[in-house]
Amino acid sequence: MLILGIESAGSQVGCAVGGHEGVLASAHSGRGRRHAEALAPQIDFVRRQAGIRLSEIGAVAVDVGPGLFTGLRVGIATAVAMAYGLGVPMIPVPSLDLMAFPARWSGRLIVVALDARRGELFTALFRKVPGGVQRVRDAAVRTPQELSAEIEALDEPTLFIGDGALRHVDSFTGLRGVEMAEQGLANPSARYLVQLAHARAMREEFVQPWELEPVYLRLPDAQINWSTREGGA
Amino acid sequence: MGDLVLGIETSCDETAVAVVERATIVWSSIVSSQVEQHAVFGGVVPEIAGRAHVQELVPVLADALAEAGVSGGDIDAVAATTGPGLVGSLLVGVSAAKALALVWDVPFVAVNHLEAHLYASFLEEPDLELPLVVLLVSGGHTMLVLMEGHGRYRLLGSTLDDAAGEAFDKVARYLGLGYPGGPAIDALSGDGEPAAFDYPRSMVRENPDTLPEDRRYAFSFSGLKTAVVNHVRSDPGAATADVAASFQEAVVDALVTKTRWAIEATGARGACLGGGVAANSRLRERFLDVCTETGVRAFLPSRAMCTDNAAMVAAAGWWRLRSDGPSPLDTGADPNLGLPLLS
Ligand SMILES: [Zn+2]
Repeated sequence: MLILGIESAGSQVGCAVGGHEGVLASAHSGRGRRHAEALAPQIDFVRRQAGIRLSEIGAVAVDVGPGLFTGLRVGIATAVAMAYGLGVPMIPVPSLDLMAFPARWSGRLIVVALDARRGELFTALFRKVPGGVQRVRDAAVRTPQELSAEIEALDEPTLFIGDGALRHVDSFTGLRGVEMAEQGLANPSARYLVQLAHARAMREEFVQPWELEPVYLRLPDAQINWSTREGGA
Repeated sequence: MGDLVLGIETSCDETAVAVVERATIVWSSIVSSQVEQHAVFGGVVPEIAGRAHVQELVPVLADALAEAGVSGGDIDAVAATTGPGLVGSLLVGVSAAKALALVWDVPFVAVNHLEAHLYASFLEEPDLELPLVVLLVSGGHTMLVLMEGHGRYRLLGSTLDDAAGEAFDKVARYLGLGYPGGPAIDALSGDGEPAAFDYPRSMVRENPDTLPEDRRYAFSFSGLKTAVVNHVRSDPGAATADVAASFQEAVVDALVTKTRWAIEATGARGACLGGGVAANSRLRERFLDVCTETGVRAFLPSRAMCTDNAAMVAAAGWWRLRSDGPSPLDTGADPNLGLPLLS
């Protein structure tokens, strides 16, 4: 089955197409945050490079977040419209799981930290299992200080991965047995999305376009202010 | 070619999809409003709007295709509003439209939301009489435009401060009538006396020829809003219905008086009312009077087509496709997009 993967949760945007032969073509823009301008031409490019017609796509995989809200919505709106228009199901993949996937050979505790801006991180913990990684703590929003304190308490060798980890590297380098993943793995990647999604497609872990749920983790500011004013109601 | 256009509108707090043939036959027009989600905050919250658009997109799209009785393969072009509006909301519709255009292998067309409001008036009366004086009034815009042809607009004047719809919202909030303010004031004014209080009408009572050219077709509503607030403070016994009706009358007076001046000065053959405030009953009534008295044809959108919808987007898209061809796939959203004006 051919899968189209769309990734726009971080500061970069990309897409890829692939299947049991692996990734056939991919595109990626790392500069700026103009996700909406870049994504549709990327899909058109990837389709041509792979030498396929879009009607051959059997499922659309998408990074459902957490991530930067506006970019995330560009990818999700594009992906659900593609899937609905093609009449195919979707494979939702959380951004942090996607970022941990390329570290699946590491025996260390994998700490994923995606830059959430405002001095915060979207973060989750993973360990390797046969064929991939398994989340051992759910995604949450943390300050670098909070995350550092949590990891210190666990006291075991760790691998930090993500643009948030690199941005706040000073908060983590003092930890014992810490290693930083390279820049090339710092952002969620559409290529890995297609690989990860292919395995899930084999297990038929599909959702329909109208069932897809973005993962925001943060409430809109207005609702935060509102509940504060209402005494946390 | 390109006769059946699917339109998508997500510029503010309405998720809408429509299927329209040749800019005149509305096969379906589905609108999902988020008004209740924003009402508690007294205005549209951009992040809440963006999330709701993502959630509503596929259900509204599915309804629009089902009601039109067509499938994706029947669609000849996909149009979406690219601005003006809330950027995080616009991007949902633009992204979805480009994706559908790719999947169905048909042109994508970028549509200006202001231009779309104009085309709401022509959905039912497609034979234009040009030139046309256009009064465009919404929560974000108040302008008088001379339309010389499809896509050919000359700005006559616009508001110097608040938009008319914004003035309605602010006064309604002050009077405790809730959000959105326009329909609330319209309804309450029915029980009030429009001549009860003589609120100021800026640049309206003069002879138009004595006004400097840049003021002749200009509007200003902030002084009116302040006058209403000061009046209610000094006269707390004033009946709210009378205040609402008198305020509404002052706004409508300014709008229709300048429309009349523009018709007379330009020799226009028709006049068109567009935008959310075009749903106001008093404005519709007096706009029609002006057209009758000046002997020009009136183009008014039906009430359902005054508020944001995608039929008007599909209609404007059909005309844009004919005049300019498809829009590029790297088109983004422009929150501050203006009406494309001739200079
Ligand atoms: Zn509008």
